[in-house]
Amino acid sequence: MDELAYSSRMVNWAPLGKLFFVLALLIVGLVTNSILVPMITFAIGMIMMAYSTNLRVPLLLLLAIGEAILIMVLGSGMISILGDHSLPPLWEGNILWFTIYMTEQSFNQAWLIFFRAIAGVTLMLSFACSTPIPYLSFAFKSIRCPNEITELIVLIYRYAFLLLERFLVMIDAAQCRLGYNGPMTAMRSYGGAMAGTFIFSMELAEKSEAALACRNYDGTFPILREPKKLSIKWIVVSIGLAVGLYFVGQYSSDWVNMAKLFAPLFGWDL
Amino acid sequence: MSEIFRLEDVTFAHNNSTRNVLSNMSLSIEEGSRNAILGANGAGKTTFFYTLTGVYKPQSGTVYSRGEPVEYTKDGLRQLRSDVAVILQNPDEQIFCSLVEEDVAFGPLNLGLDREEVFERVAKALRDVRMTPFARRPLQQLSGGQRKRVAIAGALAMNPKIMIMDEPTAGLDPQASMEVMELAEKLHLQGVTVLISTHDIDIVYKWADTTNIIYDGKIEFSGSAEDFYNNAENVYRCGLLTPSVFNMNRDISALDGLSPAPYPRNCCEFTAKFGGSKKSGKIVCVAVEEESAVGRYEEVMKELNGTLTGVYGSDSRFALREKHIDFQFDAIDACFTEAVEGKDSVLFYDSIYTPTIKEQYEKLKSIGFDADLEMI
Repeated sequence: MDELAYSSRMVNWAPLGKLFFVLALLIVGLVTNSILVPMITFAIGMIMMAYSTNLRVPLLLLLAIGEAILIMVLGSGMISILGDHSLPPLWEGNILWFTIYMTEQSFNQAWLIFFRAIAGVTLMLSFACSTPIPYLSFAFKSIRCPNEITELIVLIYRYAFLLLERFLVMIDAAQCRLGYNGPMTAMRSYGGAMAGTFIFSMELAEKSEAALACRNYDGTFPILREPKKLSIKWIVVSIGLAVGLYFVGQYSSDWVNMAKLFAPLFGWDL
Repeated sequence: MSEIFRLEDVTFAHNNSTRNVLSNMSLSIEEGSRNAILGANGAGKTTFFYTLTGVYKPQSGTVYSRGEPVEYTKDGLRQLRSDVAVILQNPDEQIFCSLVEEDVAFGPLNLGLDREEVFERVAKALRDVRMTPFARRPLQQLSGGQRKRVAIAGALAMNPKIMIMDEPTAGLDPQASMEVMELAEKLHLQGVTVLISTHDIDIVYKWADTTNIIYDGKIEFSGSAEDFYNNAENVYRCGLLTPSVFNMNRDISALDGLSPAPYPRNCCEFTAKFGGSKKSGKIVCVAVEEESAVGRYEEVMKELNGTLTGVYGSDSRFALREKHIDFQFDAIDACFTEAVEGKDSVLFYDSIYTPTIKEQYEKLKSIGFDADLEMI
């Protein structure tokens, strides 16, 4: 992720500004009931991500987005079929031991939640894939976040990869010695690799502590090229856009009715 | 030479352990010297290094830095660590940042230096290890050897007075190992005290002035390498082996009925002792700067066309990478060997290595071979 962030066209934007902007959009998407607002914030998130990666979104990131969308489709689907029984149904029935009761309200609610969720994912991803972890830590530090937390972010990020690398080496080593010959052996091998990684993490922690001390580490990770600080422009733009979207939400709550849009497709009489 | 470090009866054991890793260790290290720290696995070499940097505080005994006992306070340790830099065996253990230049800057920034100076130091350190084009690269994209260079650059950027290299050649290919040794020599010539721990006995035998042997947490021996290697029983007990050049010298001297002394430490000295030509070949040594190296090469080679060529030092090697060079690594030894065999050669080198060439010339002279050396 850091690799992507360092090559992002947005890497030099103020990390705190980006975070403030993203959070403002997320909040406004949550406080309005109009589906139009999360649709707009989703579009902003996609545009930011496309700009950040220069339209070269890595396959892994696309798969992650795809997976998130799939989970949200399932979650929203569940919401849509658990409608209020006092309202007229669009679709009702039983599948195995499930009672399906979809109403216009539950259908619209599901779409609203779906768009809020994917808007959140794309906005946060656009932030994450343009902000290296040290910059994020720097941003947190500048808002007086305790050093212990900001340094932990950097250390966990760094060592998570080293431990993962070690785990994969152990898996390969087990494979070379027929460690996956049968389900029980495979389970034992995975268990051994996990325990080994845990023990290694202790050893690594000890060695790293000494190495950090040798390099005069005094509890903070300094940054050579400090990112830009949060400017008033970011605050104005973020709040301005959030207020604007809030009013759009207020006046457009009944502009888009997803149930009516899908009615011809499913033959619903609305 | 003055004493830069002294350990007096230092004993250290890890927490909750009854076994002493260092036990009553006493040693003195001279300022500006080239030291080899040898010992079997588990002898206590890394613990010894960490004791020198103040990471481990001895349970008993005293560590003196420039004659003063090390103070284990924040300020005392900061002062000590601004003088002492360590390169660990596994670069992943000492690399903490995502980008190459950020990691190299980590130490200097921790020293509280101003940013301009840090940028200068980072640029110089990366240049010394030939990693400048990788400055903005994420470390995950680098190979093991490149990460090692970054770790070395991180230590160089501290401008240390003492450089500790724990297994600097482990995991490196032979060429990269030679580059590390060139760098160690360069540091020595800049006045830095260098301590190298390695299992590559041949490499340090050529280079070190003082050999220190650690065995079971104690200094078993400290002094001239030959004095230690001549005691075969001791060498075996300490889990070590004798260097190839030392073995060959001992065996051929025995066959010829000669005294093993003077002891050759590299190929040219060995050849000079046992089979040198009566008339020396000529070595033309050309000190070059990176910017003017190509021009100098063309100028010199116009006159000496067809002569064997060598290059020593990372700047010259980089500058002349497109030119025909016969000896890319260990070229001082190679060119002097050619001279011993009666052949001419041209050596292009970074000007800082002039004393190394002169030292080699003097050593050959002490063996009885007067090389025809021209320095331009």
